[in-house]
Amino acid sequence: MTPAVPLDSLRAACEAGRDALAGDFRARGDALATLTGRAALADSTLGALVGMLFPSGLPQERGFCVLAIGGYGRRALFPASDLDVLLLCENARAATLAREPGAALVRALWDLGWRAAVTSRLVEECDRFEPENPEFTISLLDARYVAGDTSLAAALRQRMLPALAAREQTAIVRALSEMTRERHQKYGNTLFHLEPNLKDTPGGLRDFDVACWATAVVELAKHRAWTATEAGWAEMLGETAVASYRFVAAVRVFLHYHNGRDDNRLAYDLQEEAAARGIGVEGAKPLHAEEWMRRYFRHARTIARLEKRSMDAALTRPSLYRAFEDWRARLANSDFSVHRNRAYCRQPATLADPGTLLALYEFVARHGVEPAPETDARVEAVVADERYARGWPGDSAAAGAQLRHILRLPRADLALRTMHRAGVLDALVPEFRAIDSLVVRDLYHRYTVDEHTLLTIEGLHTLRHAGFEPDRRFAEILAEVEQPDLLYLSLLLHDVGKGMPGESHVLASAQAAEGACARLGLAPFESRQVDFLIRNHLEMSLTLQRRDIFDPEAVRVFSELVETPERLKMLCLLTYADVRSVNPEALTPWKAEMLWQLYAAAANSLARNMDGTRITPSASSDREMIEVVRGSSALAALAKPLAAFLDGFPRRYLKLHDAGEIAAHFEMAIHLEERLVAGETQAAEALLRERRGQYELTVVTRDRPRLFSEITGVLSGWGMNILKADAFANRAGLVLDTFAFSDLYNTLALNPEERGRLLGDVEDVAAGRRAFDAAAGARRSPRGPSSRARSAIITEVNFDHACSTTSTVLELVARDRPGLLHQISELFSDAGCNIEAALIDTQGEKAIDVFYLTSAGKKLDQEQARALGETLTRALSE
Amino acid sequence: MTKIEAIIQPSRFEAVKDALKEAGIEGMTVTDVRGLGRQKGHTEVYRGREYAMDLLPRTKVELVVVDKLVETAVEAILKSARTGKIGDGKIFLSKVDEVIRIRTEERGEQAL
Repeated sequence: MTPAVPLDSLRAACEAGRDALAGDFRARGDALATLTGRAALADSTLGALVGMLFPSGLPQERGFCVLAIGGYGRRALFPASDLDVLLLCENARAATLAREPGAALVRALWDLGWRAAVTSRLVEECDRFEPENPEFTISLLDARYVAGDTSLAAALRQRMLPALAAREQTAIVRALSEMTRERHQKYGNTLFHLEPNLKDTPGGLRDFDVACWATAVVELAKHRAWTATEAGWAEMLGETAVASYRFVAAVRVFLHYHNGRDDNRLAYDLQEEAAARGIGVEGAKPLHAEEWMRRYFRHARTIARLEKRSMDAALTRPSLYRAFEDWRARLANSDFSVHRNRAYCRQPATLADPGTLLALYEFVARHGVEPAPETDARVEAVVADERYARGWPGDSAAAGAQLRHILRLPRADLALRTMHRAGVLDALVPEFRAIDSLVVRDLYHRYTVDEHTLLTIEGLHTLRHAGFEPDRRFAEILAEVEQPDLLYLSLLLHDVGKGMPGESHVLASAQAAEGACARLGLAPFESRQVDFLIRNHLEMSLTLQRRDIFDPEAVRVFSELVETPERLKMLCLLTYADVRSVNPEALTPWKAEMLWQLYAAAANSLARNMDGTRITPSASSDREMIEVVRGSSALAALAKPLAAFLDGFPRRYLKLHDAGEIAAHFEMAIHLEERLVAGETQAAEALLRERRGQYELTVVTRDRPRLFSEITGVLSGWGMNILKADAFANRAGLVLDTFAFSDLYNTLALNPEERGRLLGDVEDVAAGRRAFDAAAGARRSPRGPSSRARSAIITEVNFDHACSTTSTVLELVARDRPGLLHQISELFSDAGCNIEAALIDTQGEKAIDVFYLTSAGKKLDQEQARALGETLTRALSE
Repeated sequence: MTKIEAIIQPSRFEAVKDALKEAGIEGMTVTDVRGLGRQKGHTEVYRGREYAMDLLPRTKVELVVVDKLVETAVEAILKSARTGKIGDGKIFLSKVDEVIRIRTEERGEQAL
């Protein structure tokens, strides 16, 4: 029979011990002292109870011992945590003898206020790994002797566990990885929660334990022995990680004392209390809740990275996955190899070169392969060097070009995260430091500002794979953006101002971006795009909230703000990404639909109201741009002719072209004028250049009937497929047409001398010196082959007589093919219509064209429009 | 006690909120909703494709006030939400049997 236990004195000792520890934590905030103190109190309680409850002789006999496991075993016993105890028996006889005292032990522990979880096992059960119960084997890694047969405890720890780890390393680590993955999934695979669970959320204490266990298993398997003391092997993980553990552990101790139970959720209101008390902070210095939570997220990130690295190092893969990883090794190049789905630098010393360093992340962005832990460590060591403390050591402009390239690649988000992790992003874009783990503390912003920023870029890249509405519509817009790297760069910098002093984060971000763009070597036009996007990154959301987006006036005001279709596309996508990355529920289908509607209405407004916004040199806003152009032109002294040149062009002309391009167009106009004054009655100026994989032709000449039709005919005859075009005229009747086209037959690429001939043909035809069909290029059929129809495209012809005061606006959608634009413009000419302005665009297989038409100097009447519509529909339908 | 439910244009919400605050009424529940009424849906033709919105975006503002404040609240909403165009919205009034504050279990008008 089990002797009665005098519990009263033990109870008093336990209560006194707990109260003392609680008081000590309140006074000093030292979590580790609390945790080890509680473990020591439990040890002495357990030791006393074992001595009282077990028959004399049993504890001294071989065959029975009491071990602390779990957090108790690690000497990390949180105030409301269970007391995990293992009664280990050598054989069935010892187990039988220990059964009744064991039950009494459990009752006594509960009576003394300990939440005891006591397990009994035979030692032989500890010598095998059960895949259905991996938790048990893992708990043995923390097993610590408390009472009983020391040799039995030593046999388990010093002999059986190392042998088990050596035999079952792969299975144990894989089980640990699977358990961790499931736990992370429960929390959305993110450490960013408004009220994080300090134990189980990614970056929480359990992740620290996982890192310790993974490391321990690897060490045990390798050395067949414990290579560090019980406490010491946690410190193998590094000072920074241990410091992060201390912070989070302190918060958990605070929560347990506050809640009186094992509730590890850091509730919103408790964050303020913890901050005010300086929980986890050196000297218990009180902090504002935002700053305190910023520290929490930094520590959580450290723990999350530690877990990832430890698991990466420990994990061996099953052969099928290894085959996949070996296949990925084909991605290797001369600088980087891939092994087990991780990128290695073939010659690590070359990472000291800034260009090679960024090339690593280009590799990551292109292939989606993370750097190996040792590559990460090497990069961190490089970036920690003094050279990087003074700014980017290499050519900043070259680095800027590499960064922009990285931003365009499919896994830019992964590259940026790994750059951020290793400190490379902060070195290249120091402005980003301001938002490191910065918290916007409200119930709407779930993520830290830096995480939100990275999520915006990730969100746009994943948009490319959108399969459903409304994401698919935004994916279509993204496919049309000409310089997506400017959009991504704007996203990267759009919120840095939140970490900088000042009333407006928008203004602060724009100012910071100005410096960043200059340093990274952006051209002035590109910097202006980035500046526009950042300064106006809230405007679309505000318009949605505060204006009636179905009111044409509200749409007109908004479209005047954006000024060009390219800016509208980028601003729309930036808004989409920004809202979507605030929290998972922020971009509701309703909001996305509204955003889309505003985009479509503004796009239509830009296309239909072009002639209502003409350059007027006397207007101050236009004067500023004219001054910039003057500064870029060799003909800067000719202010009056420049103003006259620009007078009457749509204002968007100033936004579509940078100052250098406008100056080049102006010089073409000057040369044209000189030739006309010199007596040449038929003259035209043409300029051809290659840009972003396409060709761009600019023609400046006097307006005349069929001009647009004939120029497009020449291009089609040469086998060029026109993708975009703008046709503008100024008040003096000077036409400036620009065409972006692709060379279907690679004529110009393979025969550079043909460029001169093409230009000659264009100039001759545009000047009217030669008929279009006599041009050299007309040898080929002006109507190229249609691509095989993949989807039905119905020809749509819509007239709007109201949106322009002087012209009838025609919107036309048809299947794109070489020669289409020439055919359309011929039909206009045949119908007696003049093209006052044109906006030509191509979206995949679809041609989307807007023409401002007049007939005899006036808008088309209803009958003319009807007849022209029928002709176009008949001629262009499939 | 009376519940006031106002369906308004989203663009008028800030004005309505300010007007209610000025009238001494600050507690309200706001929901983004869609609605269909005399103002028909909207169709935007973009690049040859029609994008129709049959249900238009609206904002629903709900508040419960003591009876003597009902007219004040209604007036505030009417003045600030009106644009004069079809689609301005509607206000619904209904009687409330009881109000209970969850934190303190107070009931009736003192729970408002």
